[in-house]
Amino acid sequence: MALFQIHIPILDDIKANGLMPTLIAKTDETVTRLTAGLNVGDVRSVLRGDPPKRPNPRTKPHAEAFWMHMRPTYFHKRVMPLYPTFRLGWLSMYFLVIETITGLVLMLWYTPSPLVAFENMLDIMANVPFGLMMRDLHRLGAEFMVMVVLLHMLRTFITGSYKKPRQFTWFSGGVLLLLTLFLSFSGYLLPWDQLSLWAVTIGASMAEATPMIGREVNLLVRGGPDFGTNGLLRFYLLHVFALPLIAFIFVGVHYYKVIIHGHSLPPEDEPVGEDTARKVPMDRRSYFLPDVATKEIYWVAMWTALLILMVTVGNWHAPLEPHADNQVTPLHTTAPWYFLWLQGMLKLGDKVFWGVIAPGILVNLVFVMPYLEVGPSRRYIHRRVGLTIAAVSVVAFSALTYMGTPFYAVSSSADQEVVAALVPQTHPGPLRSTPFEQLPAGQYAAAQWKSAPTAGLREILELYEHELHKYGDELPDSEGMMIVEDWQVGLKKVTLRVLWNSGEDTFEQNVFLHQASGYGE
Amino acid sequence: MAWRTAIGTIAVVITSIVTAFWLINEPARMAAAEEGFEGRSIEAGAYIYDNNCTRCHGPKGEGLPGLAPGLNIPEMFDGTRLAEVGWAGSLHDFIYSTTSGGRPLPSAGTTYPLRMPTWSREFGGPLRMDQVRDLTNFMLNWGQAYEPGAAPKAPEVAVVPVDSVGTDLTTPELPPGDTTAGEELATALGCTACHTLTDVGPTWLSEADPNGEGIGARAAARIGASDYSGTAATAEQYLRESIVLPDAFVVDGYPPSTMVMNYGEQLDAQNVGDLIAYMMTLR
Amino acid sequence: MTAEAVGAAPPLSRREFLYYLWGASMALFMAEMGGALVWFSFPRFKEGEFGGIITVPIADIPAPDAEPKDIPEARIWVVNLGQGRLTDERQPEEYTVKAGIKAMYKICVHLGCLYKWVPTNDRFECPCHGSKFLTTGARIDGPANRNLDAFPFEFVDEQGNVLAKSGLMGSGKTEEGDAVEIPAGAVALCIDTGQRMQGAPNTEPGGGI
Repeated sequence: MALFQIHIPILDDIKANGLMPTLIAKTDETVTRLTAGLNVGDVRSVLRGDPPKRPNPRTKPHAEAFWMHMRPTYFHKRVMPLYPTFRLGWLSMYFLVIETITGLVLMLWYTPSPLVAFENMLDIMANVPFGLMMRDLHRLGAEFMVMVVLLHMLRTFITGSYKKPRQFTWFSGGVLLLLTLFLSFSGYLLPWDQLSLWAVTIGASMAEATPMIGREVNLLVRGGPDFGTNGLLRFYLLHVFALPLIAFIFVGVHYYKVIIHGHSLPPEDEPVGEDTARKVPMDRRSYFLPDVATKEIYWVAMWTALLILMVTVGNWHAPLEPHADNQVTPLHTTAPWYFLWLQGMLKLGDKVFWGVIAPGILVNLVFVMPYLEVGPSRRYIHRRVGLTIAAVSVVAFSALTYMGTPFYAVSSSADQEVVAALVPQTHPGPLRSTPFEQLPAGQYAAAQWKSAPTAGLREILELYEHELHKYGDELPDSEGMMIVEDWQVGLKKVTLRVLWNSGEDTFEQNVFLHQASGYGE
Repeated sequence: MAWRTAIGTIAVVITSIVTAFWLINEPARMAAAEEGFEGRSIEAGAYIYDNNCTRCHGPKGEGLPGLAPGLNIPEMFDGTRLAEVGWAGSLHDFIYSTTSGGRPLPSAGTTYPLRMPTWSREFGGPLRMDQVRDLTNFMLNWGQAYEPGAAPKAPEVAVVPVDSVGTDLTTPELPPGDTTAGEELATALGCTACHTLTDVGPTWLSEADPNGEGIGARAAARIGASDYSGTAATAEQYLRESIVLPDAFVVDGYPPSTMVMNYGEQLDAQNVGDLIAYMMTLR
Repeated sequence: MTAEAVGAAPPLSRREFLYYLWGASMALFMAEMGGALVWFSFPRFKEGEFGGIITVPIADIPAPDAEPKDIPEARIWVVNLGQGRLTDERQPEEYTVKAGIKAMYKICVHLGCLYKWVPTNDRFECPCHGSKFLTTGARIDGPANRNLDAFPFEFVDEQGNVLAKSGLMGSGKTEEGDAVEIPAGAVALCIDTGQRMQGAPNTEPGGGI
């Protein structure tokens, strides 16, 4: 007799009931465990759209499962259509997930050191299968996410969904907005190209404008007087660890508050001053299983298809400028678009007031607004003041954003602007995108663009002539020359020369073009 | 509700197909992208070369005699230069390491008067390592012209004349000189490298002279000085002697046998006449 | 969980079927993505670095029966087996030996240390646990359980044409990497460090199977 016997229960079942019935029963049991309460029959009934049994087993995953416990058992039918939410909250979460996945994947091939970061980007884009797609998705997702989060905030304000009892939901959302902006900002630096370095330098120079402790704040943020090894590492750690950690925590808080108060209804559906979102009558319920779940999976499929189509067939690609150079700031360098409003404000006056104090006050006002704006009604007609303020803010944001671009107020001398229109310092531009074979060696005058030998030359020279006319006041009697020389096998040297005041004044700039460099594609 | 399932399925299928095509195309796309980045590296290198290296190595890498060796020469790419300096590694590493670290000592068999500075930040120079890499790629790209089948690129070098002026100070008689041609020749031959750009040789310019005299003014005085060891009788002859017989008289304080010795063979009478005419204008 | 809930299963409705179809398409897409991510994650070896093809000029190859030559960047010992090595009495009989070049992997097949060449004893010896090998790669002592691993290689001429390449020798249990003589006109030896050929099993004391 053995000291212990091995008892395998499944064998008993097979002996008692036969193999197939046991397997079916085991499958049923497994599915019930995985779904926290729905057996195979229940799952099929969900998929068939049958009305649920009594008592409704479909509430069990929400009550007993970890992943499902925060998702509500049902939503009010009136919050399901495009209006009133435009599904922007959901979309924000979708992009957070996309960014996390693509970001994690990119971490495999990136090291945050100024010595190799740029080369890692080249590697990802040219030597890692799927690398370009992952990078483009990450960048596209980031751009979308900032826009979606801002629109979500705007929508929440317009529908008055921040009012009691949802003030803290708004507050936590404000935190998430700041986190989104800083996640995007910190990620911007990581490719370590000219755009990265200077756009983030412009933004981080705000830190130096902090009154009294500006120098110390700047040193903490950048790890040095300007961005280098320390700064890149700090921004990398912020971007991949600290900010995502805080973001996930606050997403939990924010979403929990949304569910616990019930998703706010369209303002016209509620009696003024009452919050009836928590009690959803039986006939107004849109159940998570199957309706909401199906819709969410559908939206995931559609948005993922859109993103992937944009970066493949749509040819949307994240830019990569030349290697970061802390000795040269490119002409027309700009901050990322969501910080242009700050740059615009800076052009209004003193950088401490307009760069630190005013934005600081504005941001704080946004955070505490629900505790100040305590009107009882969410209806649009009762909120004319608030809605006007929202409209004015949007217009002001747009105006300040435009003012933040370098095109508001000419930034350099006219001769340099003309040449920069042909060979910009922040992106490839028209000359570099012209096909190599369409630039035969020779001397060409912009005024004679019509008789240029190739279509590409005609386009470029016409643009050249157009720019010279645009600056006709500052460059009287001007003449534009473009000289193309064969410099090496596969390399051409293009000299752009602007003469004005009948040849008395000249400006010249060289650019080299290689046949394989592929800027046009 | 069912329509969402159907459209959702179509969306997923389309995404899968597009992704599959993308994946199939990846190796070709990556190869093209790699070439593209190499091309951009060459462009960046060309720009750096144009702004830093032409002063000594010439605008197209032809070198300046007496100042710096040519880089865009067949010997660089057929192994001759590597053998000359005794380099055991690859051409890429030779160019990269020389650019990074400069030449604190002259390389084997050369007598260049100036030392090449270091360029990489690792050794105190102004360029980042990626910039030195770009420069190296640019210089390696010259090699393409020397491969069989590529269009031959002859660098511009002073043409060896048929009729050498020789080392005699009076025969042949020099034709009237053109000062502009003389100035151009002085730059092309590299005279300016030692005589105006640096202080390797006695300066031609009055601004740099301790007595405020240019070479044209000093030439006459020299032949009358007590330590003059040459045979010139006039200022023009003195200048001619300095060019074709450099060691006949070496100015006090300068080492002998430093100047190029064979201008008498390299140049013709017109060249020398032009040079002397130009130098005489530098008072 | 009870038989009755499972027994009365209704037939497949169209809506249900569409869900399954959708689920299948999503599963396929996830599988495609998974595959792409795996491909994404694999390191890629460029020529000249370990894991890719490393080229050794013929001049660097030792003479027959001379000491093995260390090629550090390829992580190999190049051995040139001449008649002396073929008739070495320590060589276990089971294994086929041919004259020619072999590219032995420097890592000991026991637990990963780098074995050394010991001239006095005319053999490879591993300092970690004492495994000992001849230049043919055959193990003659120690806790290792197979002969040394080797890399496949090719001989190329000036134009890059392949003149000879290594394969396998022996058969069955004694199959392992091949030795190849240097062909006339060869200028370089190209070793593919991305493929490794395991040595034949060798567990008897003193060598053998």
